[in-house]
Amino acid sequence: MGLESLIGGEGFLTTTVNGLVNWGRKNALWPMPFGTACCAIEMMATFSGRYDISRFGAEVVRFSPRQSDLLIVSGRISLKMMPVLQKIYRQMPEPKWVISMGACASCGGVFDTYTLIQGVDQFIPVDVYVPGCPPRPESLLDAVFEIQELVGEDRFDSGKHGS
Amino acid sequence: MKSRSWSAKTASTVESMVVEMSAQHPAYDALPADLQSKIFEVFEHQGQVGMRCNAADQRTLLEHFRLSQNYDFLVDVTAIDHLGKDAPERFEVVYMLRALQSNHSFFRLHVWLDERLASLPSVFDLWDSARWGERETHDMFGIVFDGNPDLRRFLMPEDFPGFPLLKDYPLKGRDERRQFPKVVARGDRMVEEEPDPYPTSIGRQMHTPDYIEEVRRDSKPRE
Repeated sequence: MGLESLIGGEGFLTTTVNGLVNWGRKNALWPMPFGTACCAIEMMATFSGRYDISRFGAEVVRFSPRQSDLLIVSGRISLKMMPVLQKIYRQMPEPKWVISMGACASCGGVFDTYTLIQGVDQFIPVDVYVPGCPPRPESLLDAVFEIQELVGEDRFDSGKHGS
Repeated sequence: MKSRSWSAKTASTVESMVVEMSAQHPAYDALPADLQSKIFEVFEHQGQVGMRCNAADQRTLLEHFRLSQNYDFLVDVTAIDHLGKDAPERFEVVYMLRALQSNHSFFRLHVWLDERLASLPSVFDLWDSARWGERETHDMFGIVFDGNPDLRRFLMPEDFPGFPLLKDYPLKGRDERRQFPKVVARGDRMVEEEPDPYPTSIGRQMHTPDYIEEVRRDSKPRE
């Protein structure tokens, strides 16, 4: 269109505000790890050098929900833990996304007993489920890519879940 | 000594057993005569001695083991639910003792406890560790330990209604798992909603009788 020749050597590029904000958001996810079982070990492996989630901008692990925008629920959630998880989810600022990692967090896994929540998606919204028992780090990375796609679809000026 | 038939509760049987046991086990011989009569049975497994007694004699015997035999460490208090089994009483409360300052020996006291009574005197004044052991046993079985100052819920949530280790408590609970509201973000606010119906996880489908039958049919070896 000749636009590039007009702006010449000054180094401009054209985009939308929405595209720019989402580009920043999806490449700087700050995970809040909620590890309660063996899935947390795989999650730690994903954060560490071998699999290195920081290649995708999601390495700033904050153990404070108030500084995070990605909740990774990895492990069994018991009856006593569910209110804690809900409280942490409430404390995270919008916009926020949730990964339910592994069989136990997603559907209770093999633990169909009186004390285990049969899927955290009954009580908090979940965006991406990761199958596996426990999932490989590659699976968790794939879930982060899915989240990045979801972030890209969002309107930056609305709450994630609309109103 | 092999364990005996459960009918050993009647007095005459107990007496005949006592005569037999006293000749056999040194731990039984070490008891004073008035306590010997309170013991139904002595058994030993891998060097650990155990005795059975009635609920009424639990406190007396434990005081003896604490104060006279130097069992200074209460390892754990727990219980067994014999519902539907051929046992003298429904509950069997087990005290596991250890003598750390003398010969490091183990000892177990098994106490038969009536289901209708379901309470025992607390021994937290003998061993401090009884506070938590009794609290956990109360949490899981509903057995009350009279005198224990703190019998709040231990492992289960504080408002949990049942006693989950009782044999007549269903494995999947009585729907306590669904007591929470669902937390959803609406705009910049958090609202609470009715929880979702049971999740569409395959786990639930897999345990229907039809599905099990189907799996069995498919897993038969082919001709």
